[in-house]
Amino acid sequence: MKNTLLYIAIFLSIPVHGQMSAGTDTIKIKEVIISRIKLPSDPPGYKKTTIDSSVLVNYSNSNLSDMLSENTDIFIKSYGMGGTATPAFRGTDASHTLVDWNGININSPMLGQTDVSLIPVGLIDDVQILFGGASMSLNDGGIGGTINLVTKPVWMKETLISINGGTGSFGQYSGLIKVKAGNYKFQTITKGYFQNSENNFRYLNTEIGSEPVWQTRTNSGIQQQGFIQELYLRNSNNIASARIWYQSEDRNLPASMLTSPNPGEKQFDESLRTMLNYDSFKGNANLSFTGAWMMSRLNYFNPLASIDSRNLSEILTLKASLDNPIGEYAKLKIVLEDQSTVINSNNYNQHKTRNTATLAASIERNKNRFGTTILLREILDNSTLLIPDFSAGVQYRLIEDKPYYLKANISRNSKMPTMNDLYWVPGGNHDLKNEYDLVYEISYEMNQKISGPLNLKYNLAVFRYNMKDMIQWHPGQYSYWTADNIQSAKSTGAESSVSLDYMRNKINASLKAGYSYTRAVAGGSNIGNDISIGKQLMYIPENKSTAAFRIGYKNIYSSWVANLIGQRYITVDNSKYLPGYFINNLSIGIKFTLKSSSIDMNFDIDNLFNVNYQSIAYYPLPGRSYFMKILFQLTK
Amino acid sequence: MKNLVNIVIISLMIVSCQKTPEFPNPNYSLGGGVFVVDEGNFRAGNGSLSFYSYDSSKIYNDLFNSVNGRPLGDVPNSMAIKGDKAYIIVNNSGKIEVMDQSTLKSTTTITGLISPRNISFVNDNKAYVSSLYSDSVTIINLSSNSISGYINLRRTSEAIAIAGNKAFIANWSEGKEIMVVNALIDKVLDSIEVGIEPESMTFDKNGMLWVLCNGGWARQNYAELVEIDPNTDYIEKTIVFPTKEASPTCLKIDGLGQTMYYLDNGVRQLDINAMEIPSSIFIIQESGEYFYKIAINPYNNDIFVTDAVDFVQQGYLLLYNSTGTLVSKLRAGIIPGSMCFKLSINT
Repeated sequence: MKNTLLYIAIFLSIPVHGQMSAGTDTIKIKEVIISRIKLPSDPPGYKKTTIDSSVLVNYSNSNLSDMLSENTDIFIKSYGMGGTATPAFRGTDASHTLVDWNGININSPMLGQTDVSLIPVGLIDDVQILFGGASMSLNDGGIGGTINLVTKPVWMKETLISINGGTGSFGQYSGLIKVKAGNYKFQTITKGYFQNSENNFRYLNTEIGSEPVWQTRTNSGIQQQGFIQELYLRNSNNIASARIWYQSEDRNLPASMLTSPNPGEKQFDESLRTMLNYDSFKGNANLSFTGAWMMSRLNYFNPLASIDSRNLSEILTLKASLDNPIGEYAKLKIVLEDQSTVINSNNYNQHKTRNTATLAASIERNKNRFGTTILLREILDNSTLLIPDFSAGVQYRLIEDKPYYLKANISRNSKMPTMNDLYWVPGGNHDLKNEYDLVYEISYEMNQKISGPLNLKYNLAVFRYNMKDMIQWHPGQYSYWTADNIQSAKSTGAESSVSLDYMRNKINASLKAGYSYTRAVAGGSNIGNDISIGKQLMYIPENKSTAAFRIGYKNIYSSWVANLIGQRYITVDNSKYLPGYFINNLSIGIKFTLKSSSIDMNFDIDNLFNVNYQSIAYYPLPGRSYFMKILFQLTK
Repeated sequence: MKNLVNIVIISLMIVSCQKTPEFPNPNYSLGGGVFVVDEGNFRAGNGSLSFYSYDSSKIYNDLFNSVNGRPLGDVPNSMAIKGDKAYIIVNNSGKIEVMDQSTLKSTTTITGLISPRNISFVNDNKAYVSSLYSDSVTIINLSSNSISGYINLRRTSEAIAIAGNKAFIANWSEGKEIMVVNALIDKVLDSIEVGIEPESMTFDKNGMLWVLCNGGWARQNYAELVEIDPNTDYIEKTIVFPTKEASPTCLKIDGLGQTMYYLDNGVRQLDINAMEIPSSIFIIQESGEYFYKIAINPYNNDIFVTDAVDFVQQGYLLLYNSTGTLVSKLRAGIIPGSMCFKLSINT
């Protein structure tokens, strides 16, 4: 409790020295027609936030892991530069977090999670965060929540070419090129990137001898490249689109500080994602069809242990949805989705398939100051009908015509076992049930213009998750582990965020700060005198805070991003823990605009105070580092 | 600016002050007892060392860290005592911690081993260390505490049993042979084909070598107990387990060299003259327990069993007397594994 108060005190004292962001000079743009793109609707009663492009532009040479960690309440469990990073909401597991691309899930069907360190922010236009029950409006299985990566057109007659190059500490260099062209009826968008990094940073190893020793991180280099090609076509009532996203990553996996010799682990990831989408609008009704085929390859090598793991998954998704008004205030939404998965892995006995068909129906109603949502979902898993999920939300506008909302929702959301849980040899269990949780959430949201140039947004959410039948791998009858539905957990917490935006004359400033408290404890088990019951789950921080102050004056801009993570327990009885850390990143840039072109130069210092810290025990993270980037943009 | 400095200072205090809580200095008497090597989880670096003291009837945990101020390493696998030195083999850290056996202060760390598993002493100056991943046994010079050479077995190794100038080395992982090594010249002499995955070995009162072959994790083969004459290297007797589901591990023998013990969903007993595997269970493994390793006090036949519980939380050390009655159940470290006695005839 003492620590909690200290964190809160620090959080409250941070504001004035916070953060900053780009966007200095005003750019006159041509006519923009905001179209009705296929985005998830915002059903009343739920919490959803969007990381917009003004923030994402600061991370154009970074990966999604860094951006989420520094700007959201989502906790990223990271093995450090070059290692995997997985996101988790509100005390749930990484496999309970869905990562979507335009509403289609891209989690690995084998692992059930996404390594967000492999997703370049530069490819993404918007990031939507849907908490708890809000994720049910998009997909099934997002017990914790959903991160929806949006790529989208801007309907204007313009050709834009941008070239972004950067280099920095530890052998980092990267490039990103975007070409956008089209008019009000047709748009083509091409984005290509590469990122290389040796990640050979120095760190102080205090664990292997009586005296600390400076060592250099080895076997942690990564090379990645990829592209997205998007085509959009529309007329007055229809939009059609085709998207292809390819990327590949070749990386060495860094070992723990205590591991010797370095096993020289390597991993090769490759993914090809394709998506066709057609939307038809008639009045306020919308009929949408999406077909997506996605392939992902994950090959893992451990020469020391003679492991050569080869895994290929393919998923075909067909999705149809209808949004139809019912009377003046309500609308009915029906989503039908079929997903076929095929896995070829030398870790399974033979190739495995799964087909799931999902029907979700929801009714949303907004009248006067009240809004309500009711959602029902039924899943047919191969030939088995699962217990239906549901969600209900209610929303009340506190003052007429003012955006002050009180929201509440309750949901039952379930997640199917991953293919590894079912079929891994040895230990996969064909008889696993779905994991499920009951989510209760109350939130308050406001958006207030304080004075002419100053705007305030505030959000407070309190949540409770009861997670049941959680799948855990445990020692079985023989000398290998097996998966079973034996764990339960409860997570209770609160999130609050405040955002102040100021814009006047040539000054543009914003302050965003957030704090989350998560108490996630293990529930009952079949073990007598289980010492984990009632204890905080491992690697879930009770306290997390972020703050970002961004300011621009004329053509100069700067930002300060601070990220505070509280202690995380590394034993189930909470007897040992990793200390909390407070990381500060500073960025400064200047932008020159000349007619239709611009040059933007930027210099970043990460971990400004050179803090020695770990996100996972014995996996060091880098100290102070530098990154310089230059963006050239041509518009015609 | 002043606020900023305050924030930074407070933040640095948070980072620097919150260290892993220290365990109280045990202040135990290192009289007779048994060390328990707590393996911890692979790559988590949470392995540790415990000691059960006969003097106080208590267990003392996390001893290596509290004495040496640093973690023991990643997956300590086994421990052995020779003279006034104790040796802990740390598998995924590729090292051997050499300690003063009375103070547990690390005196030397022998590094550069590949996935070491067990150590066995040839004489006062030489020891062999087996390896899960390499094809060679590592030779350790005990005088200089350094690697002095390798014996290429062309296969991985696990248990090592030494009789006179012969070392019998089990090729456990996916293997089915006992390699016979001339310990005078460190050369392979012979190999003896036994059952699938020879996992543990012990000598009986007649000097015969008993090998427990687990049968492999996939349970496609029967487990076997094989009796070998170490003088001739011939197999004298093979006892096949009655079902493929039997998955025995951790063969030990009592102080008389007459009764063998192993784990298979509980503690099992077998006389060296038996011709078949008995169906009865000597000590029943209760629901929620996972018997992981066993050790028999050679002087009074006390039976120590480690219970790894769920392999995540701290496990238990169970002490039974020679009749199989539970004497005490004490919380050890995470995945309490192999044990090493520190006893004298008077203990």
